[in-house]
Amino acid sequence: MLSRRGVPEGIGEKAHTTFSRGSGSAKGARMTSLELSQILYLPQLVPTLLLVIFGAVVIWSASLTIPQASFPRHLFGIALGAVAAYLVWNYDYRTLSNVSTALLIVDVILMLLPRVPGLSWTAMGMTGWVRIPLIGFRFQPSEPAKLVTILLMASLASEYNGRIESLRDYLKLCGILTIPFLLILTQPDLGTGLIVLVAGASIIICAGAPRSWVLVTIGIVVLGATLVVVTSLTPGLPHLLKEYQLNRLIVFVDPSVDPSGNGYNLQQAKIAVGSGGFLGKGVGNATQSGSGFLPEAHTDFVFALMAEEFGFLGSTILLGLFGAMIFATISLAQRVDSPFAKLVLVGIVAMWSFQLMQNVGMCIGLMPITGIPLPFVSFGSSSMMAQLMSVGMVQSIWRHRPKAA
Amino acid sequence: MSPLVLIVTLLAIVLVALVLLVLINRGEARFTFDIGGATPRASGGGDTSTEKGFKNRLTGLSIFSGSIIGLLFARLWAMQLVSADEYARQAELNRTRTVSTAAPRGRILDRNGVELVNNRPSLVVTASTEVVDSDVEVQLLANVLGMPPVAVRRKIQDQTEGAQSLRTVAVDVSRRVVSYIDEHQYLFEGVKVEERAQRHYPLGSRCAHVLGYTGRPTQEQLAAAKEDTSDARIPYESDDTVGQAGIEYQYESVLQGVRGEQQLYVDADGNVLDYATSIEAQSGSDIILTIDNKVQEAAEQALVDAIARVRKTGNLECSSGSAVCMDVTNGEIIALASHPTFSPNDFVGGISNDDWDMLSSEEAGNPLMNRVIAGQYPSASTIKPLSAFAALNYGIASMDSHYVCTGYWTGFGEAYGQYCWQHEGHGTVNLREGIVYSCDTVFYEIGKAFFYSDDKEGLQETYRRWGLGSALGIDLPAESVGRVPDPDWKWNYFTQADDYARSWQGGDTTNLVIGQGDMLVTPLQMACVYAGLATRGSIMRPHVLKGVASHAGDGTVIDFKSEPALAVEEEGSSFDLVADGLKGVIYEESEAQASHFTNMRELVAGKTGTAERTGEEPTGWFIAFVPADDPKYVVASCVEQGGFGSECAMYVVRDIMGAIYDEPDTSTAVDSSGVR
Repeated sequence: MLSRRGVPEGIGEKAHTTFSRGSGSAKGARMTSLELSQILYLPQLVPTLLLVIFGAVVIWSASLTIPQASFPRHLFGIALGAVAAYLVWNYDYRTLSNVSTALLIVDVILMLLPRVPGLSWTAMGMTGWVRIPLIGFRFQPSEPAKLVTILLMASLASEYNGRIESLRDYLKLCGILTIPFLLILTQPDLGTGLIVLVAGASIIICAGAPRSWVLVTIGIVVLGATLVVVTSLTPGLPHLLKEYQLNRLIVFVDPSVDPSGNGYNLQQAKIAVGSGGFLGKGVGNATQSGSGFLPEAHTDFVFALMAEEFGFLGSTILLGLFGAMIFATISLAQRVDSPFAKLVLVGIVAMWSFQLMQNVGMCIGLMPITGIPLPFVSFGSSSMMAQLMSVGMVQSIWRHRPKAA
Repeated sequence: MSPLVLIVTLLAIVLVALVLLVLINRGEARFTFDIGGATPRASGGGDTSTEKGFKNRLTGLSIFSGSIIGLLFARLWAMQLVSADEYARQAELNRTRTVSTAAPRGRILDRNGVELVNNRPSLVVTASTEVVDSDVEVQLLANVLGMPPVAVRRKIQDQTEGAQSLRTVAVDVSRRVVSYIDEHQYLFEGVKVEERAQRHYPLGSRCAHVLGYTGRPTQEQLAAAKEDTSDARIPYESDDTVGQAGIEYQYESVLQGVRGEQQLYVDADGNVLDYATSIEAQSGSDIILTIDNKVQEAAEQALVDAIARVRKTGNLECSSGSAVCMDVTNGEIIALASHPTFSPNDFVGGISNDDWDMLSSEEAGNPLMNRVIAGQYPSASTIKPLSAFAALNYGIASMDSHYVCTGYWTGFGEAYGQYCWQHEGHGTVNLREGIVYSCDTVFYEIGKAFFYSDDKEGLQETYRRWGLGSALGIDLPAESVGRVPDPDWKWNYFTQADDYARSWQGGDTTNLVIGQGDMLVTPLQMACVYAGLATRGSIMRPHVLKGVASHAGDGTVIDFKSEPALAVEEEGSSFDLVADGLKGVIYEESEAQASHFTNMRELVAGKTGTAERTGEEPTGWFIAFVPADDPKYVVASCVEQGGFGSECAMYVVRDIMGAIYDEPDTSTAVDSSGVR
């Protein structure tokens, strides 16, 4: 392939623009499937759409028994997300690779938004929500902030063209990543913080950070985390973890410690998943989620609801769809030339993979309980919008790819 | 701190996983090492290595994502395919609740079908557990019910009725309270008024000692029910009504129904969503007693009257007594009365501590005690027929033995002289007359002869053959066995006394032969002895159960089968002599006494007795059977500290007989002869 040549950013960008005619040619004309696949990356888009549809079915069934799970609101979230995704798709992502300072500012603003008096909205012990006055629309800025952080880290890391040679550069990247991470932690939203950390770290690693540095960094992070847990468990020392966070960790290790609180939730989620069996109980027949034993069945524990209604078959389909879209995205990352595009895709894949592991893992006792939504499925417009924007970003990368002449 | 250790382990695993991820990129590092890191960025030389590096790192990312999906898939496989049944069972357990429904307790009827115990509907206020969260509601409920708020709170928090069911707050609430709660339902969220069956004793204290009473199961009963694994096991719940005394206790398993079971589907808050299978409650069977309510009423009244009669003479020590009437042909108890008495209704819905203390106190005369089966007294002269049997059997006396009574007997020497109750003396009397006039001298002689004979314990053997000193096995709880004293007993009983005082003396035998001293019998035992005298030795087991009428099926009545308790053998001539003597007691002993029986068509045979205890008024006995020539009923009465038998117990027996034959006592003659 011609594009195997490494192209410095500035040059590459110009080169890409010259190839972006493809989309323009389709305008106004009746699109053939070939033309469609020119502007849309179908291997990633189709599984995503199926996932959104599957998720909508699950939320609809949840809406039968859970009053908070409003199906119209879910559809509204999907619609908003689709519009946002369309805008992102139409936007040439490449302009973002050079505006890291602006991205950092946007990121910080998003993180601080919930602290602005008049906008902030506290729910479930978190000040992570923003309520827009007059409209009354609530959203979680940390959701779009995840995507902004990915773009920020990708734009910074892509400068090194696949090899980070100076420790100063490496530390700069790590340092910048800690800014959104620490800001999210203050909300406090450890779950979203971890997503940002994993996505950012994946970008830094894939950007070519030397192995030994990465190992040392991870070692420091693990040591720090252990220290935080230990001090939080030891009376007299500062408790950096909130009590509920600590409880979730303890319950994860031994669910019998707290059978009525967090342990109860975990136990009920596992019962819901396991009792689904092979074919599931069918839509509307889920006793665990339908009768209120499973808490947050439409948001955080939506996977357990799905697994109860659709059984192992449904779980397999869901994992399969996630697998298909994730691997399609990785495949795209292999094919595009621009390091920025590659790193954005790496960040997005890492985010999806980690959220999938965290959300499903928490329902089946593999991960501690955190309030992380299942992408494309969980009820909640902020998450849906952010995730569909990520899809729009993937599609934008496909659309604005350099095409072989 | 095991959670801490495990968390650290977990973090270590995450560390290893991330190290592995980085190690996968190692190939890239090794590969690019040759080319060197100094390759100029702008030049084309680094192209291949950069591209290759990205490729490898993306492969690493694929492995990262792929292993996540693989791990989740494997775990879901294990949960949804391998362990699905176990999780399904837990899900089912989550949403189903079993609520038991109380079964009505069986009624208790007299032999003619008169209801002695039934169930009445009672209004019960219940509250769900959430009510406790609202202080205002608890206070309101307390005000309406007239209970302290603490008590309301405690009742609601009582978990013994099961985690899900409504908790009972108050029983037997008034219509006024119910309508107030109904009208202000918005104030009383989670509060419900239910109608429940409560035990009811329509005749109050009638027959109380036979019926007994009910209560909540005791800790012992709950524990026993748990341990019992037999089919007859009754799985008690703590709000069940359980018999605690009398028939209610004795035939608990018959009266207690079988609780129904209702399977419910509930949501996480315990709200009922749907009903599944249910098993109807089976009400307990009705019990039919041998008691005749009419005779029972007369017996209770007779006791009250007799005690009042004695107290009117100035003897205020007399306040308790008992009477029993039994069918000698089959052992059926026709009436059983004990005074003072109580009302089983006091126990319904839980008895207050004050009431309980009062009912079980010595000062109140132990009203809960059934004196017919648990009261123990010296038998006094009523034992004399048995002493006569002993004398005849052991050759101590013969049909034509004669004794001279001077009123003061010195058979053991002047120093040990004893009075006959008739200080003037009876003159020359034979054995029959000894019974008729209850002449102590006759029996002192017999006792002395036993004391010096080879059959030193001939008296005790005879008494025991007649059932004294052992239980008769009546179907009521807490039957006493009495005491037939003998040398062994005396030696072991008075352990503090010196050897002489502990050993059996001649005076002990002469006390024993006239039923005084350490001898103890229950009225039921003596009634059975006289039943044996009436039937010439065939003593049927006394019982109060006549039959059981089942509510289930066709309502068949199962009759209680009478069975012999004892078959005592004596010479026919001996029976003749005693029976004749007992008739003589009624008609010859005293004119006044006879006047109470000559106004009856039926012939009566019986015996008076007066048990003496130092420092107390004597306890009077009267035992008789009727008709004397073809005995049907034996009636026994014992009035504690009621004076001579002819002054108190005789009236009770006569009144009961009057009720049986509808021949009330018209004689007003008062016996002043002091016959014993």
